[in-house]
Amino acid sequence: MRIVISSDPRLLQMLRAVVTYSAQEAGFAASDAEGLAMAVDEAASNVIRHTYGNRLDATLALEVYTRPDRLEFVLEDSGPRVQPETHQPRALEDVRPGGLGTFFIKCFMDASSYDESFSGGNRLKMVKYLSRKVPTSDESPGQERG
Amino acid sequence: MKVQVRSADNATIIDCIGDVDLYSSPSLRETLLQEMHAGPAGVLVNLSEVGYIDSSGMATLVEGLQLSRQTKTRFGLFGLRGNARSVLELARLQRVFAIFEDEQEALQRIPSTEPFGGV
Repeated sequence: MRIVISSDPRLLQMLRAVVTYSAQEAGFAASDAEGLAMAVDEAASNVIRHTYGNRLDATLALEVYTRPDRLEFVLEDSGPRVQPETHQPRALEDVRPGGLGTFFIKCFMDASSYDESFSGGNRLKMVKYLSRKVPTSDESPGQERG
Repeated sequence: MKVQVRSADNATIIDCIGDVDLYSSPSLRETLLQEMHAGPAGVLVNLSEVGYIDSSGMATLVEGLQLSRQTKTRFGLFGLRGNARSVLELARLQRVFAIFEDEQEALQRIPSTEPFGGV
């Protein structure tokens, strides 16, 4: 699945709904699905605020891949290249506004990394493994859905 | 998200209704700062109708907390549930806010709550 939205924060609610639905369809519990929605929301918010500087006329694309053992989320933008080292979570003891978006991505995802080979902007891949997958009746082993 | 302000005996109450995210948190921030500068004895944020709060919403609450120290306003949250409660705890912010279960408890206890430290 691939959806493309404009960089308008009003549309973040829609992204969260897509992620929650995808996660529940893949067999994640509702609470885990909410966490994944938050992680993707935070990643998209970072793009809107920092990469696009709150511009509303740029675009973001979210791809969701359902694998047998995991969900993969790929968030793509066309902004200037992000230096991942500048997006580190702040220490929780250092209580101040901001700096928690990356923390929540790390909390709710099992892995996240930028695709260094992507040249059209930034491509952030986030992965969450199913620890206890609930099998669905129409899914055969090894089947992958994009 | 809707943000509504009402006055109670001991505090100004800011009711938040809906999701607090990058789109809606500026509205909460504007109201929170405005009410804090108005000089009430206390400001309480009602989160009982908030199903989702992101890091921008939490940043807004932390900013309110910091301002409460400057303006010597007592500041607290009540009605946290679900996502709002769990993400606040994940970020270990429950230890810096005065958090009350519900409005009744918040209004009873806010006058005796210490001005807040830790931030």
